Amino acid sequence: MQLKTGRRGEASCVVGVPIFLQVIEMNILVCVKQVPDLEQMSIDCGSDGVPVIGEAAEFRMNRFDEFAVEAAVQLKEALTGVRIDVVSVGPEPALAVIKRAIGMGADQGVLLDTGDQPDAGPAEVARRIANHATSHRYDLIFTGSWSEDGMNGQVGPMAASLLNLPCATQVMALKLDEESRIAAVEREVEGGHRERLELRLPALIALQSGINHPRYPSLSNLLRANRQPVDIIAPSPDEKGIDPVVCLGLMRPPRTRAGRLLEGSLQAKAETFLSLLREKALIR
Amino acid sequence: MTNAADIIVVVDGTGGVLDPIAYEMLAFARRLNALAAGRVQMWVLGEASEGLAREAAREGGVDATALQCPGLSRYFSEAFIRILEPTLRAAAPAYVIAAHTSCGAEWAPAVAARLEAGCIGGIDGMGQEDGRIWFSKDRLGGKVKGRFVSDAATTVLTVQPGCFKFEGRPEGGGTGRVTRETITWESEQTRFSGVAPAPGGATSLTDATIIVAAGNGIGEEENLQWIHRLAERLPKAVVAGTRIVCDRGWLGYDRQVGVTGATVAPALYIACGISGASQHVMGMRGSGFVIAVNTDAQAPICAEADVCIAEDLRTFIPTVLEIYAKQLENEKGG
Repeated sequence: MQLKTGRRGEASCVVGVPIFLQVIEMNILVCVKQVPDLEQMSIDCGSDGVPVIGEAAEFRMNRFDEFAVEAAVQLKEALTGVRIDVVSVGPEPALAVIKRAIGMGADQGVLLDTGDQPDAGPAEVARRIANHATSHRYDLIFTGSWSEDGMNGQVGPMAASLLNLPCATQVMALKLDEESRIAAVEREVEGGHRERLELRLPALIALQSGINHPRYPSLSNLLRANRQPVDIIAPSPDEKGIDPVVCLGLMRPPRTRAGRLLEGSLQAKAETFLSLLREKALIR
Repeated sequence: MTNAADIIVVVDGTGGVLDPIAYEMLAFARRLNALAAGRVQMWVLGEASEGLAREAAREGGVDATALQCPGLSRYFSEAFIRILEPTLRAAAPAYVIAAHTSCGAEWAPAVAARLEAGCIGGIDGMGQEDGRIWFSKDRLGGKVKGRFVSDAATTVLTVQPGCFKFEGRPEGGGTGRVTRETITWESEQTRFSGVAPAPGGATSLTDATIIVAAGNGIGEEENLQWIHRLAERLPKAVVAGTRIVCDRGWLGYDRQVGVTGATVAPALYIACGISGASQHVMGMRGSGFVIAVNTDAQAPICAEADVCIAEDLRTFIPTVLEIYAKQLENEKGG
């Protein structure tokens, strides 16, 4: 089955290409995103009730992507011949998260620059990643489950779909059989149940948080990351502004409950807390 | 498809039952239908989904098509993509509606990408502005909601469970028409090999009268002691946590409340240092009374709580325990 990957009409990878190499070589692509540190971010209420987002004080790697980088680095440590590329779609400051991923153990980085449109939507991000992956031969593509700022979780399934790769999201366990080229995964579903799947490589896997414990970058790797150039690739005209979905504006989450804010001293609030429990006959 | 419709609700019928979300999606589709002209239709996918399509037609009064896919005993993404991409392409609806569950959130963006459709996920509301229909969903950890519009010919929408109430069959509406279609498919890249139960198994969370829950805002693992101490003092109280607290290993996953954890409905839910992202809120929305203790009075959890206490739990909980101990002491003395 072939799939057009873009308006250029190229065909992407064809499933079932025999692997002639006897030496096991595994190329992994890890997708990371830079996000604002939400805890440091001020959100004020504008005059018309529309939230006004303050400038982000700090940016960092999307927490969910750290699990993806760690999973790749663990494979690299367990097997021989593993090479990890890390890719980010974003503005130039996102180089910082690429460097962090290299600091964690990735080999090479590439920034798919979004230039004057820093907030590319999931469809555009997926297209950029798919176009990049088409010209490289990746056996595995890892992503996080979603980004903390956009909260979509669409890039992984979309990129897999454009590349005609099998895909599993919310993956909580991963076992690779490099000879049969099968990734046995467990995906976490509602209620914590685990669906077991076997994906034929190449495959895209979106990892669930908690699958591992992401490491801190090592000093030697960080030094290497600082020396090493990162490719910066500008969007081609047919990659720009392709997401038909746009954000009209923001709004405050509607209240489902009263959310009465207790007033007074710490002491008074603690007393009210206890009297509420007493009113509800939950304590004596 | 022979019965093209403008709004197609796609239901996973592989489990052999229609989950409540199927009817919630229908409720969503009808609200959308009030803004966007067209016909609403439901597709039920499964190995033998005709019974479910009949049920939907009867209970929901919707025209339903059973997409019977031999061998499709359980959802997995490749199967759904292979079945839905060509059928949806042929039907060319304005909207495709899926559930924002572990399944829908996986296949819907994948199918959208192939159809070059717009995709808006995790929708909890809708409206209209200047003639454009918008859909709202969480952004920035749930601190705000974005209103999204799509300009594509086809837009795939995934609907957050619990957000759209199904009110039964429309007044005066009868049973919907049922059609059946058999679709053969083959999975080339994926093999489904079973379901394992949640590690850790069932916990007492669902039976607890009071749940004291910890979120990322507790800051350090050592602050968890205050959560434990409060729970120890309250009758029939247990400790729970958000996903991030469990990911950090501070609590076991059997203590997790939320989409991939337990869904709880205690008489009292005390949310400590919990921001209130939808993944967590969906697991505790059924609680009788909710108290949020959070240094940030603007946190989204305050919109989901009956009472908000803007205090640091490291000082608040010790104060509560101290006063409570004194009250019990006085009672004994008196």
